Amino acid sequence: MHPTTSAPVRHEPWYRYGVAILCLEMLIATAVSVYSLYMTFHGLGGFPGGRLSG
Amino acid sequence: MQQAKDTHKVEQLVIATVAFFWCFLMWFSTAAFSPSIAAHYHLGIKELGLLASSAMWMAPGGRMAAGWAADRFGAPRAFALVLAACGVVSIASAFTTSYPLLFAERVVVAAAGVSFVIGIQHVAQWFEPHEIGTAEGLYAGTGNAGAGVGALLLPRIFGTSYQSAYLWMGVVALAIAGWYLIRGRAAQSVARQQTARGRSGWKSAAFVWSRYVAIALMLAYAMSFGLEIALNAWLPGYFARGFHAEVVALGFTGVAGMQIAAGTFAAVQSFTASLFRPFAGYMSDLFQRRGWTPLPFIARTLPYAPRLHWLGIALVLITLAMGGLTAAGLSGSLHASVATLVALGIFISFGTGGTFALVPLLFPDRPGIAAGFVGGLSTAGGIVYPLIFAAQSNIHGGYLRVALALFIPFVLFYFWAARHERHPEEHGVFFVPQAAPAE
Repeated sequence: MHPTTSAPVRHEPWYRYGVAILCLEMLIATAVSVYSLYMTFHGLGGFPGGRLSG
Repeated sequence: MQQAKDTHKVEQLVIATVAFFWCFLMWFSTAAFSPSIAAHYHLGIKELGLLASSAMWMAPGGRMAAGWAADRFGAPRAFALVLAACGVVSIASAFTTSYPLLFAERVVVAAAGVSFVIGIQHVAQWFEPHEIGTAEGLYAGTGNAGAGVGALLLPRIFGTSYQSAYLWMGVVALAIAGWYLIRGRAAQSVARQQTARGRSGWKSAAFVWSRYVAIALMLAYAMSFGLEIALNAWLPGYFARGFHAEVVALGFTGVAGMQIAAGTFAAVQSFTASLFRPFAGYMSDLFQRRGWTPLPFIARTLPYAPRLHWLGIALVLITLAMGGLTAAGLSGSLHASVATLVALGIFISFGTGGTFALVPLLFPDRPGIAAGFVGGLSTAGGIVYPLIFAAQSNIHGGYLRVALALFIPFVLFYFWAARHERHPEEHGVFFVPQAAPAE
């Protein structure tokens, strides 16, 4: 028996919102990465899209 | 036990996160305006390089001192002091007309980066062990994004007027310092605050620094955050040189075009490493909740054993991805190299989030000192790795060299240090087991 598998923990309400925020942050990271890589691989510009200079 | 009833732990998390976000914004605000500063003072490439590297100078020692101060005086006072000092100097730098003085002032402002460990200590003093991974992940991941947001938005908002940016950033820092002092509470209970304060002596610090498991976590953070900041500095040059023909073939010509393309590939690593970090903390919580302990050798019966396993998995993945980055580079495929880099960025976030889901649990009575040691010394990786990358005869070979020469020994040491089924924090040099000093 592992003491780590103890009785299930009941999270407070904040935890659900915390998980929602971290999911949103992951979505933003994925979207910005995919968009900027698409732009760059098509010679259209750089992070975060659009030619920053030059 | 007296509780801080006039606040909620979420408010404390928000205050710490906003303050850290702003500190990270200030930490890298010199780099964001380096072209403008270079043009204003007619700086050469060497002076520009020195200005860029100066952002890291205060981190190793400064973070260790900041962690100690958080335990000793409480996070609100320590954080407010950092914000106020950096804010005042930032305002002063807006009116400076001498470059040597501006350089010195920006080195002081870059000390805002030491605030990371203060917030880690603050969050650890408020959240329970079963939720610490997500809480620390939200704090650190969201705050880290301040560097990227600053790089993107500051030049767009202020143009080339870095003086205005530094003035406003200093004013806002002072406002946040006031907010932190008024609403910040050091710990969930007076007892918890007094315990940390009582363990903030030099003997206690030496105890933490000499623990094998603390050293293992410091090396784990050097493999993750140390690598992240090393890659931030190294990757633009790597893509510009290692994939020059491929980048030109995409339609990016000239120095400016090459800078845009190479900078984009580098930024993707930084962005994923920052914004996946809260997820890594959540995964640490999930491992803990489910009791997953899949790796050999690492302890399985400790109360936080699953978190040790999650971090172990992250370290193995980082090592493998470093080898993959060399393989992709040698294959000449830009697409494969960038894809591997995205994966490496995510694995780095697993390492950073996994490490600080553990530090407060291993040293609950010394959260600031432990965070300062792990988060401070590890930043030396940002200086060491680029030197090794640059020393290779083949520009793609440095990642594998670092993995073989440094990361595999680090991982083996981690597995060895985390094997104890009882009180791994008691094993180390200088202090014998059960000799944890109570000051």
